[in-house]
Amino acid sequence: MEFSFTPEQRMFKEQVIRFARKEIAPRSPDHDLRGEFDFQSFRKLGEFGILGLHFPEALGGGGADVVTTVLAGEALGEAGVDGGLTLAYGAHTFLCADTIFCHGTEAQRERFIPKLASGEWIGCMGMTEPGAGSDVASITTRAEKRGERYVLNGNKMFITNGPMADVAVVYAKTEKDLKHAGMSAFIVEKGTPGFSAGRNLIKMGVRSSHTSELIFEDCEIPAENLIGQEGAGFFMAMQTVEWDRSALLAPFIGGMTYILKKCVDYSRQRVQFGRPIGEFQAIKHKLADIKIFIEAARSLCYRIAWCKDQGRPLNHLEAAVAKLFLGDWSLAPANDAVVLFGGYGYCHEYEVERYFRDSRLAPIGGGTSEIQKRIISKLLQWA
Amino acid sequence: MNFDFSEKELSLAAKVKDLFGPDSRDFLVRGESRDLQQTRDSLLQWMKLLAQTGYLDLGLLEGKNSVALVATRENLAALAPSLFLALEVSTRLFGRLVAVYGTSDQKAAFLPAVQDGQLIGAVGLSETGMNIESSLATLAVPTGHDFLVSGSKGHVVNAPVADWVAVAGKTNDRLAFFLVKGESEGLSIGPRLSTPGYEGVAISPLSLQNGPVSSGMCLGPFEDDEPLRKARSWQDDILAAAGLGLMRRALDCASEYARGHKSGGKPIIAYQEIAFKLAEMLTLLQTAQLLAYRAAWMAETGDPEAELLGHCAKVFCTESAERVTSASMQVLGQHGYLRGHPAEEGFRNAKYLQIAGTSTEISRVKIGDGVLGRS
Repeated sequence: MEFSFTPEQRMFKEQVIRFARKEIAPRSPDHDLRGEFDFQSFRKLGEFGILGLHFPEALGGGGADVVTTVLAGEALGEAGVDGGLTLAYGAHTFLCADTIFCHGTEAQRERFIPKLASGEWIGCMGMTEPGAGSDVASITTRAEKRGERYVLNGNKMFITNGPMADVAVVYAKTEKDLKHAGMSAFIVEKGTPGFSAGRNLIKMGVRSSHTSELIFEDCEIPAENLIGQEGAGFFMAMQTVEWDRSALLAPFIGGMTYILKKCVDYSRQRVQFGRPIGEFQAIKHKLADIKIFIEAARSLCYRIAWCKDQGRPLNHLEAAVAKLFLGDWSLAPANDAVVLFGGYGYCHEYEVERYFRDSRLAPIGGGTSEIQKRIISKLLQWA
Repeated sequence: MNFDFSEKELSLAAKVKDLFGPDSRDFLVRGESRDLQQTRDSLLQWMKLLAQTGYLDLGLLEGKNSVALVATRENLAALAPSLFLALEVSTRLFGRLVAVYGTSDQKAAFLPAVQDGQLIGAVGLSETGMNIESSLATLAVPTGHDFLVSGSKGHVVNAPVADWVAVAGKTNDRLAFFLVKGESEGLSIGPRLSTPGYEGVAISPLSLQNGPVSSGMCLGPFEDDEPLRKARSWQDDILAAAGLGLMRRALDCASEYARGHKSGGKPIIAYQEIAFKLAEMLTLLQTAQLLAYRAAWMAETGDPEAELLGHCAKVFCTESAERVTSASMQVLGQHGYLRGHPAEEGFRNAKYLQIAGTSTEISRVKIGDGVLGRS
């Protein structure tokens, strides 16, 4: 067992940090405050090669391994990029583009991956519905085959990038009486008649990402927009879990590193009772807890990435452990950071406030903490 | 990056596990005895058995920690917590001090016996009233080639059963470790202390009153206090690994019980109040494991953050051990509350891990200083 990164991986991470610090992070506070998606930064992520990092070069990607891809996500957080933009990137690259890449036909790959990798098109993924969240197999959006076309009817909820997406990967039931085996995945393009997005939902955190309902009313799409086979949708959705548990979580860890740095700087310069507050043990205690969280979380995340690089099937236990720890155990240190900054920590100008709001998504999105506990305990039950 | 154990690491862990058959239970119970002779005999017997697996060589030959060592330690700490603690202090604290800081003569005199499991060692570090900045009140007065050592140590693991004790002290204001035979002039070993956890470990105070130590039995004197810091970090490694073992044992017995015990016609693991507790326990265990493994790997590779990570691992592993053993008792209900059950025993043991070595509070201060760039 050993935990080193290659010199190339370390160097790349540094490059991403430098790039994001200069080009992206300075724009984050404003976009977060106004709840506006940063199209310019998103395109820059594409130009730098981050949006398509792990896709083959022939499809406009960077040909990177999974560990490097996760490092890039961590680097964005570490540079101070807000959780909204990193979430938009995650939904775009891993939930939408990667599904087309892994399960799509050659024609689908060639049509969509280069444009998604460059950021020319923005992608989203629709699984959750107003009445179906954790219980994914209970979705009711229907896809009925009529000749050479499918007709989609139903609503999707809490869809990151929904309002501006050019391409949506949508899960729907092709066999309404079957549960998991009745789910299939489709590509729906912006402008398709019968397909629309609801209003942008005002969220507590990750505010620069836009989230909305997707509405399908007799939305007709050509049969070739089916991804893979009918009935294979649940399997595809589960494959994206590998990314959910590594690359999508990495920005939270990087963000915590960024916040720790902010806390350290503040503890050094803020003077109370005649000395910098960093000299008080109660402050060191908080800094220590943030540091312990970061170090504990990192290995969990990279273990998933490394196993994926080895071509192994996802270890559901390890993936759920990573998600549960990242989600539930990040709340206390994020809160510590706010408390450390006192009144300033409650104000938008100090980024700990934003991180506190952003990190609250970690135990909710991509499978709640309760669902992770359910997965872990089921595996323990059958062990 | 590689998250798999090597063949060598796996085979060592398996060899250690294989030593503990169904017959070993009685043997271990005798090891928990309050009788000092029985405690000593049992410890020596197990050390000799474990020596055959190569387990006692780890950390001694190169003086390094390793991921293999942490993983194997976790196995032993899960199987026999008290034996683990006593053996580790003898081998990886006393033995390692000699291995890293001893002269070739001292190594030749002690290491073969430590590696063969024929020598029980103890190390006297902490003193009553000692502060964290390593000022030691134990003083050694040079008398020509020898020293006369005086001082007292508070809670020394293995002291009542040790063949040799390494006592940390100062001579001419420089740190040194004085190797003192278990029964020797000027050394008095206090009564065995009664503790709520780790009852199988013999712990007592000791004091030296003008105890003569020849210069050949002195490690150092050293230029600085680095060896004392090292010894403390090795002690912390042992305590963190002990925490991993306690968690494993507590989780295993709680899961097994929850799969078998029924309520309302279903095994209790089918209820979320129970199942989700087990999920949290497993999450803490796996997270603690990876943190401890990475800290060990960083120490081995000489990473500049290794010491900081060591403190992180100590805090996380030992605090998680208390949470996991507590949750285990909750799952096991009255069964886990009965004296002698691994869950309640683990719960009592876990407290010690947070107090001993670098306490949780001091560890956090050191981590805080580390991130503030003050250490």
